[in-house]
This record gives sequence, C-alpha cells and structure tokens, in this order.
Amino acid sequence: MAARHHTGRAVSSGQTEEDGAERDGNDSDRESAMSFSSSDYSDDLEPEWLDDIQKNGELFYLELSEGEEEAALAQAAANQGVSTNHVRFSEKEAEIITEQNKKQRCGSRAKGEPALKRLARILRRKRRPSQRRGGGKDGGKDNAALSSPPTSILKNQPGQRQGVTVQQQQLKEVCVYLNPKRLGGSSTPLSDSGGLLEVLLGVVHRPSWSRGQVDPAVVRQEERLTVHGLIPNSPAIKCGQILIGDVLVAVDDVDVTSENIERVLSCIPGPTQVKLTLETVALVDGSSASDTSSVRKTRASPPVSQLVRLLWGEDTAELQMSIGHIPHIVMYLSLKLDSASPQEEEEILYQYPVSEASSQLKGVRGIFLTLCDMLENVTGGRIISSSLLLGKHLVHVSYWKESNNLLVIGLPAERVPLLYLQTVVGDVVRTLKVMYGSLDSAFCKVDHAPRLDHFFCLFFQQLIQPSRLREGSLAPPTDVSGTLFLQGLPAVRWLTLPPEIKMEVDTVLSDFESSDFGEMSEDFFGLRRLYVILGSCLFYKSYLIANHLPKEDLLDVCLYCQHYCLLPLASEQRVGQLVIWREVFPQQRANGTSTAAPGYDQPQGRHFLLIVGLRHFMQCVLLEAGGCASPALGSPGPDCVYVDQVRSLLVLVAFRRFPTPKYKLKLSCAQVKATLLQLEVLEAGIEERLSAPPTPCLSCADWFLPAATARDRLDSLASSSPVFSKLVKGSSAGSRGRSLFGERARRSSPQRSLSDSGSEGQMDAGSGSGSSMAPGLSPHSTPDSARKLGGRRDSLGSGGSDGSGGSGGLFKIPRMKHPNPFYLGTLKKTLTERETEEMYNTMKLTSGAENTLFHYVLMETVQGIFIAPTHREVAQLSGSIHPQLIRNFHHCCLSIRAAFQQSLPARGRRAADRPQGGGWGLGPVKEHGVLFQCKPENWTDQRKPAPTMTYWVIGRMLLEPVPQEFYVCFHDSVAEVPVEMAFRLSFGLAL
Amino acid sequence: VHMFGGGQGVVLSCCETQDGGKVVWRVFQDSVMLIAVTAGGGAGGSSSSKEEEARLQRLLENVWNCMVLVLGQDELANVRNVERLKRDLRSCFSLIDQLLEDRQEGILGNLTHCADSLLPPNPTLLQDAVQGFAQAADSEFGCLVVHGRIAAATEKWWRLAPQEVVLLSALMRSLSASGSSSCDYPVFLPHGSPTVAHRLLRFHLLPGADVCVLCGPTPSLHRAESGLLVRFWTPLVETLRDCLAVGERCLPGSVSLRPDVLALLLINRETRRSVSCVRTSTNHPPGQPPLLSKARCWELLKLFYIFSTTRYFTQEETLCVSPEERAQRSSTEDFVLGFSHQPLQCYLVSEECKSYGLQTPQHQLFLLVPLSVPTFALRTVATQTLSDIVTATGF
Repeated sequence: MAARHHTGRAVSSGQTEEDGAERDGNDSDRESAMSFSSSDYSDDLEPEWLDDIQKNGELFYLELSEGEEEAALAQAAANQGVSTNHVRFSEKEAEIITEQNKKQRCGSRAKGEPALKRLARILRRKRRPSQRRGGGKDGGKDNAALSSPPTSILKNQPGQRQGVTVQQQQLKEVCVYLNPKRLGGSSTPLSDSGGLLEVLLGVVHRPSWSRGQVDPAVVRQEERLTVHGLIPNSPAIKCGQILIGDVLVAVDDVDVTSENIERVLSCIPGPTQVKLTLETVALVDGSSASDTSSVRKTRASPPVSQLVRLLWGEDTAELQMSIGHIPHIVMYLSLKLDSASPQEEEEILYQYPVSEASSQLKGVRGIFLTLCDMLENVTGGRIISSSLLLGKHLVHVSYWKESNNLLVIGLPAERVPLLYLQTVVGDVVRTLKVMYGSLDSAFCKVDHAPRLDHFFCLFFQQLIQPSRLREGSLAPPTDVSGTLFLQGLPAVRWLTLPPEIKMEVDTVLSDFESSDFGEMSEDFFGLRRLYVILGSCLFYKSYLIANHLPKEDLLDVCLYCQHYCLLPLASEQRVGQLVIWREVFPQQRANGTSTAAPGYDQPQGRHFLLIVGLRHFMQCVLLEAGGCASPALGSPGPDCVYVDQVRSLLVLVAFRRFPTPKYKLKLSCAQVKATLLQLEVLEAGIEERLSAPPTPCLSCADWFLPAATARDRLDSLASSSPVFSKLVKGSSAGSRGRSLFGERARRSSPQRSLSDSGSEGQMDAGSGSGSSMAPGLSPHSTPDSARKLGGRRDSLGSGGSDGSGGSGGLFKIPRMKHPNPFYLGTLKKTLTERETEEMYNTMKLTSGAENTLFHYVLMETVQGIFIAPTHREVAQLSGSIHPQLIRNFHHCCLSIRAAFQQSLPARGRRAADRPQGGGWGLGPVKEHGVLFQCKPENWTDQRKPAPTMTYWVIGRMLLEPVPQEFYVCFHDSVAEVPVEMAFRLSFGLAL
Repeated sequence: VHMFGGGQGVVLSCCETQDGGKVVWRVFQDSVMLIAVTAGGGAGGSSSSKEEEARLQRLLENVWNCMVLVLGQDELANVRNVERLKRDLRSCFSLIDQLLEDRQEGILGNLTHCADSLLPPNPTLLQDAVQGFAQAADSEFGCLVVHGRIAAATEKWWRLAPQEVVLLSALMRSLSASGSSSCDYPVFLPHGSPTVAHRLLRFHLLPGADVCVLCGPTPSLHRAESGLLVRFWTPLVETLRDCLAVGERCLPGSVSLRPDVLALLLINRETRRSVSCVRTSTNHPPGQPPLLSKARCWELLKLFYIFSTTRYFTQEETLCVSPEERAQRSSTEDFVLGFSHQPLQCYLVSEECKSYGLQTPQHQLFLLVPLSVPTFALRTVATQTLSDIVTATGF
C-alpha cells in the first residue's frame, strides 16, 4: 500500500493544472485509465463525474441510485413495449456478469464482505457511463429508438408542432443544448466520418457522393446538410424536433453548409444552448395526431421526475413553454443609458425567458428604468417594487439595484404575494452573490448566460409550477405559500435527534473536519494544504442533522441547495451520487470584515463549496483556499481526496483516493467494515427518529371536525342500540374487534360515511373518523375510569398494531363529555416503556388533557435553524382538512412574518428618534394571531349546518433570551399561552 | 410612464420605494388619471406596503367621487376645455383637501366607506323628525348630522351607495365649517345619478348639529327654512342637546364599555354604518407611563383597520362598483383570497397596545386595549363589547 503512495505524483499545488490537463485530454486519459485498470488493479476507477467538470472547475454531477433508476426504467419499459425490455435485460445480464467478475477478483482480497456488493455496484454503475447521463428513461428510450427510429422521435415531440402540417416546406427553430465537454464521455468513436456534426450534435449526414447516387437534385443540393440519421442519446434526438429528412440551414443564425459546419461547431466553447434552424418537410396528418397522443402518454407517467431532468439540464424548453403564458421575467438592465448608441436593446445585459408574455414585459422595460430613476428623485427612496396589470395578470415587479445596473424580476401576483416578494428576490440575489460574488460578475460575463438560464429556469419553475417538478414522485403536492414561507425563513430545517445519535454524527463530522486525511494528506508529502475545511453540515432527507458552519455560511449553503432543489431531491429519491463543486463567495466572509474582532484578520481566500450526496445523506463542506492554506490559482477543480473523504464519510465505504494523476483508488477493507457498521447505526437511528410519532404530539384537524358530528349521531343512537354498545366493548377490549374496525377504517372517508344512516352508519362514522387517524397513532381506547393509568399502558401494547388501533378511541365518544376526546398525549413509539414515559412527560406541548396542537414552526435566528414537524409526521396525519389547514397556516405565516419584518426596522429607528405622536405605523409587533374557521368541503347534508372548527394561527417573536420566531396552529378550544409552548419546545431542542 | 405602459398593453398600478414612499395610478372613465404620491420617509415608513396601497386606492376613489359629486360625470368624462375644467375643479379643492389631510379626528368613513354614525340616546324621536321633515320637503332623502356623524337618516338615505353617504357627510362637514346657517348646493351623486344634479339643502340647527335633505327643484331654500325647520325641529331641541352631549363617544350612556377598551370601531356590514370612539383616559395611575395620546389611538385604529382588512377580512364591496374596478380590486386583494379557510378574528400585540379584530356575518369590530390586558383575555373583551353594544342599541 505504501508503495502506491509513491507511485503517484505527489502534488498539491500543481494539482489544479493537472485537473485541467485531465479534462482536456479526457478521451485519451480515459482510455489509458481503462486499460490501466484492466491490467493492473481491478478496483482502479476513475470517478465518473470527472467528465462533467467544467472549465472553471465547477462540477454538478447527479446520478440516481440504482433502485430509483430501475424503478423508473421499469416504468419506461412498460410504456414502451417489449423490445425495450429485452434490450434492458440483456444489458443487465452483462452487468451481472461483470459484477461477479469483480466479486471474484475482489474476493481474493476481501473475503466476500457485504461491502463488496456495494463496491461492485459502484463499479457496475461505472460501466455504463453514457447511459447514466440521461437517466434510465433515456437509456431505454434510445434503445427503442435504435430499433424503430421514427416512433421514438415522435414520442419525444412536444405538442406544439401542429402548424407543420400545413406547409410543405417550413423553417423551424430548434434549441439544442450542446456540451462539448461531454464529448469525451460519449462512446461514439470520433474517428468515424461524421465529425463534430455527428459527435456533438448527433446528426448523421452522409454526403451524397458517398451514397453513390447520381441524382441531379441531390447534386444541386450537395452543399446542403440533410439529416440522414440521428445518433441515439444525442442532443439532436433528445430534443425530439429534428427529424430525418430535415435540412440544417443555420446554427445560431449562421448559415451552414457541409463546408463550414465543422468549423462552426468547433467554435462552440462550452456547454450552451444552440439554436438550429432547420428546413423541414411536411408531416402526414395521421402521424401528427398520433404524435400528440403519444406525447400525452409519456407525460402521464414521466419515469424520472421532472426535477431531476431539470437538474440535468434537459427538458428546460418544454417546461418553460408550459408556463410561457404566465408573465414572468428577469432582466438585468444597465442604467447607464447611452442615447447615442445605435444598437437596440443595448441596455439589456441579460434576460430570461424569451416568451410572449415576457417579451411584453421586456417591451416596457422603459418603465422600470424610468421609475427607478424618477422615484429616487421624487420620493428620495430607492424603488423596490411595482405592480402592473398585464392583460388579466397582475404582475409584481421587484427591483434590485446594484451599482449602475438594475435587476428586475417580474412575478405573477397569484404566485408570490407582494408581502413576500422582497424576501424571495432577496434570496435570489443572495444566492447569485454566493455563486458569483456579485450581480455584476454574474450577469455581465457572457459565458455565464446558459448557466443563468438554467438558474432562472429552476427559479421560475419552482415558483410557478412546483407540482410539475415533483410529478412522478411520491411527495404530496406542495403549496406555494408553504414553500415560500419555509424557504423565506433565514433558517434551515432541523431535525432533532436523540442525543446518542446526535453525538455520533457530530463526532463523525468533527473527525472529518479535523482529519488530515490520514497518511495521504498533502502534509504527508511535506507540502502545504490546498484547502482548509471551514466547516460542514450534514443533511439527511432534507433535514439538517448536524451543522458545524457559522450561521451566515450555513444560510448561504442552504440557499444554494434550496435553489437547486437538492434538499427535496435527497429526501424523495435516493441519490446515487451527487457531487457538486464550485467556487462560492460566502456573503459574510465577502463583506463581513466589520464583525471580525480587532487584531484578528479574516483570512482572505477563495472559498469552495463541495456538496456530496449519497442516498439520503448530503453533506456540504465549505473549503477555504488561500488564507492559511496555499493560494489557489486559476480555477481549480474538485479535489478527489475531499470528495472521497466526504463520500467515505457518508457512505462510510472508505475507499480512498490518492492524488495520483490517474486517480486510482485503493480499498481498505477494514475501514469498509467498520464504517459500514457506523452507517447502519446512523441511518437506522435517524430513520427511527423520522418514523417516530411526532414528538410534540400533533393532532389532525379532521379529528375535530367529524368527531363533533359523529358524537351527535352516536349520542342519539348509543342508548338504543345494544349491538352497538357491544361493539364498543369489544373494540376497546379485544384486539380482534379493533383490527376489524381498522380494516374498515382504511377504506371509508369521514364525509361520505356521515351521511349514511342506521347502525351501519354508526360504524362507518366511527371508522370514517378512524381513517383519518394515522397508523402508529393510537388514541387510547379505555373507559374513562382507567384513562389516566391504564390508558398509557393500553396504547403501549397496541402501539405495534399500528392503524388497527385507530378506531377504538372513537367509541369512547358517546361516553365522553369532552369536545375533543382524543387523548393523544400517549402517542409514543414502540420502544421501551421508560422512553414512552419520558416522551409523554416532555413532548406534550399544550396544556390540558387533549392535544390541540396542529402544526408549529420554531425558528431560531441565532443558529439559523428552524424545526417543524417532518414531512412524514405531517403525512401521517392524513386527512382531508389537515393539508388545507397547513396550507392556510403557511399562508398566514407569510402575513405574520411580514408584520414582524416590517416592525424590525421600526425597532431600530425608534431608538434613534421617536417621532412623538406622529404616525409611525403600527409600531413593533410582537405577537400576532388569527382565528380561522373551517368547514368540511362539499357538505351534502342539507338539514344541518356544516360543522365548523375554529383554530388559531399565532406567531410570536421573542427577542430574549435568544431571538426566536414561533408559529403555532392549534385548536380554539383551549386558551393557550404560546410562551409556554415556545419554551417547552425550545428546551426540547437539544443542540 | 403610465401612458407609455398603456400603449404597450401594460397597466401600471402602483410602485413602492424602500422607505415606504408610494405612487399609485388610477384611470377613471378613461379620461382622468389620478396619481397619488406619498412621501413615505419617516412618517408612514413602517406601515407595510400593502396597507399603504389600500389607503391610497381609497383616497383616489374618494377624490374621483368628489369631483363627480361637484361637477358631474359628463363634465369630467368628455373634457372639452381643459382650462375650464381646471377652473371648475377648483370648487372641489376644499373637499379634496379635507380628504387629503384627513385631519378630522374620529372620522373613518373615508377609509372604511361606511358612514360614520352616532348612536343617539333616543333614536326613534329623531328618526321620526327627520322622516317628517324630509317628507315635508318633498324628498325621500334626509339626514341629521351631529358632530359630523350621522345621527339619524331616512331609510332612503341609507340606500344610497356607501361612498355617496360618506361623501355627502364630508360635504356637510365642510359646508357647516363655513358657518352659514343654511345653504343650497347642487350635487351629482357619483353612483346614483352621475349626470343629473340634485339640490342639497342644509340647515343649521344647533352648533354641531345640521340637518339636510336631498331634493328636486321644488321647495325653495327660503320656504323650507322658514316653514319647515321651525315646525319640525323646535320641539326637539332638548333631544338634540342630549345628542350633542354624546359627543365624540358616539355611544349613548346606556352602553357601558369595559374600562380596558381604549378605542373601538364597530362596523355594521349590512347597513354600512360604523361607530367609532376613542376614550380619553381619565384616571391612569401616576406611576405608569402615560397612555397613548388620542391622536395616536385614532392613528393606530386606522392602521389596524387597514392591516386586518387588507389581509384577513374581506370588505364586501357592495353594489355600484363597476366590473373592471372589481376585477382590479380582486387582483389586488389576492392575499385575502389565498386563505383556504375563513379568518374570523385576529389580534396584534405591538409595543404600544394590543389590537383585536373580530368579524361576524353582520359586524366587524376593531378594538384597542392597553398592554396590561393579558392576551388570552382579548377575545372575551371583544365579544363582550360587541354583544354589549349590539344589545343596548340594536346597531
């Protein structure tokens, strides 16, 4: 092993240049690496993301895990027929073979550990470099494309190409995303005749002479670039609008012929969107009809979620088109108007998107410029927003002025309330600043344009049609105001963990941060370190579970993650591998020198963000170069050591990599064993926490509503129906009766069943309410007398039987005087009894016998974190009203928080000069609450008025002892003092 | 800027600067554009944008209505001579000034579009008198204004659009401020009859009390003044004095407010009437910091009203709002519509006082209470106050 250390060229400062070299000569390098691996070490691998590293050292590599892809693929295969399946299977077989090979070879070294399977899987993944790119769907599809090209082309076609059928010859413009960087990764041999046209674009053009046809027409058109074929998995086929028989007329408005095409294409510097102009032949009507239907079919079940595709940079055009009618725009305008300049639109430094509605907004950019100028003169304040009506849409436009330029973002009012526009735009600006240092440097460099396009595409998609992004995944539809509210909080979602797990996680993180990377650190070679780890934070399924970053840095990192939807991604799909590396400009470090203590100089250096995600874990590491580490020159790429260090920590598959030119990695079996165990402990622990019942117990809104009506019915019938009372006894005593009702409970819904009548109706009413009760939450079901003592034990026993226990509690209703008979204080996980006791004592937030808390958010500004019920906790409380309630809660929180925000500057101002008697608004707001009333939807019973339920949403801002904001939502029945809850909850927040 | 945008199919409605300055545009009848500019700066700086916008929109609407009131819609819609229009508009400047300055304490009608009213101790007597007086003057519209608030009015008067009622009261206030004992003023009703003028006859009864009728051409001012005034109102002088004694409290003595209510605004959503009052703190212990000044209370009450109506409570814009205006309004009130459940009550705790708002199908009540009242008691205070007033006066 030691020998291997020295075979590698020990470099650290020179590493970056090597990275570059590696990237440039990717092709040859890869080949040599491959041959090397086959000849030398079986486990020598080149990281699959190496191909993706951009020229400036940035990297965004995302890969779904095996499970996800295969599931997706199965879906795709089901859609696309047997042929695909076959191809797929054969491919898999091949893989299995390789896997076994690997196993054998590794087995000689590693005694067949389960870890090897994992490794083998990594290796196997490695074997399919090009397919991995497009995800399972594209892989499958393109295989199908091989067998029958025309159908697959049609399948990809977006619907708006109907006009084509009318005309015989028509020019069409197609935008294609080209990435010359991927050239190396593609398996297509460059040596073939196609050249760049084939390799880069995927268009096959056979010069007529080579076809041997002597057709005068063809000869005349010899110069023209007719599409004779499409290469699978190429940009051309992916975009779906380039058909065989089309003639390529221009690339980015440059006329091309077979003479100059290679030259033109070779001028494309980096990954960019290229506009192709094609002359197309008319389609037959029938095909266009089938075309739309097939489009619909593919849309109905997208195999890979749109979010992932968007992150991959595919499909942006289609998504963008679907929101084209909604006016939204981002423009970066120069305020230095040069009236003498001859060019039109010179003041637009950047704009996105190009759609009809946004071009209308673009047309009135004069307004924005004038307003910005004029209002500063008239009112003396900087303009921040304006509203305008565009046709039927009300659009809020936000302004952000930086030096001589103006960033204008227009958003539809129905998506972003004016109250929150400021926060949203502030976040975008901050994200941009984190990514690029300043707005100017972000927008003014031409080569940033495609990346900014992608950036804003994500931005608008998230705001305007969040459901599209999540489609095909299991997550419940998100609500805009909820996202707005939670993301607008200057905080990160935090998951409280049991102390042991927490400690363990922290230890692992600290070890990572402080480690000198063992013997293969740069110190080993007597050189300065390239990077210093400033801190890191660890996410699990979008919850922050450990943070060793200062607050501002954490927020920066988190904003970036939010913007790229990394957090939801990690929570919904098991990310196979995610590696992101980019230079960042943490805001506090960039301009926060004033906060530094005297005598301590914040080291000026460059900062890099490394995000590595693996399965549900994601770790963000902030690295510093320069400062006390050696200064970084140029645009360094990700350092494999760090990536792997992080990854090894995440998966705790500790294969390590040495900074050798070929990036070979070594395997340390002992470490694999140890760390894998560690992983299991961690993941199990966290999972356990996630699946535990909500620790501050929550109630579902629906329980209160049907309960009220069910009680009426049951009250009237309970005395007269002996059968019923028997049932009551049976269900509360025996688990058999309970499971019977549990089954019933699963199918009926409260509203429907309430309209039933008779004893059947009673049971249904009961079980209907029971269905709203989540599995795992078992309201105890013992009679009143035994309630205090026996209740806990009883529900403890039935806790394992999950949902079936649900109905039992309902039959208590007739006998209870309480309006809310669900005694949820005894919710607990099925652990030891003592833990249950503790939880019971500490985690019930509200006072009184019943739990009336529906939802809460606690934000702590000092640490920049907030806690809220986890998604799963919320999902457990399924019901028809509860989601509504939560949506409402978030919407209201928007308002409450806006009230808090507006009072903050007032607070500052008041200290300076208090305008006595003069109006200064409502003054600082400390607490704000709203009482809501809700009714069940589609109430069919005409005779009775619909039952109503009222609940409070209350926000409170505490400045002492630590600044906190606390939002709760609870039932109206108890006069609660939120302070009490706030304190209890924050004490439970062990950090 | 606005016109440029209009040409491009974009209608600019408002914009806002960093420290609360705001500009609002609005076009009426496709001919007159009103632009409102607030300075922002120190004054309204901390009130949030939304509220300020609602306030300005109201202001513009009022200004427009008052121009119509004085000049008639035809005049404004088809402008032939701009210079002449300018000269004519001068006559409504005093009214507009009143709206702009918003100086008169306790008059919230401009904002709420609900007639500020005063609940007299013995309403039936006054009601009968007004009814009889109006009948005698060949009119169905008559009202008694005490301290600038409507104490009694004929049924038809309440059927006028709320904006008109508010404006007419404003007009009455400005006329009575002029000090003449009676006058005859031509008015157009912005919604009822924007093109045909009516006569507004106003008579001074006692200092602080005026009566007016809206009538056609028949009874001359002189005849009405000499004949009818004495006949109907002399027997009621004592009642009127009682009425005046109610003063700014607006509520008769029979209603006992809880001592911890600083100010209240009660709106009847059906009749579009409102009662508001701020209580002067009579006995606060010397050791405590001085309570809020009266002006500040009014200010806070207004702000809280705007705050809660823009965010939670929908204002039912009754009849008489043109469709396109409604469309515009519904789009500006997007936030309210965003709630899936109906808000009923809300409260706000700031450093100065606690405010509580409550909405029932019939009423809206806004309260200010001192900080010493615990938060959980607010609700009881509010509901009790509401029921007290309603049962005592039938408001």
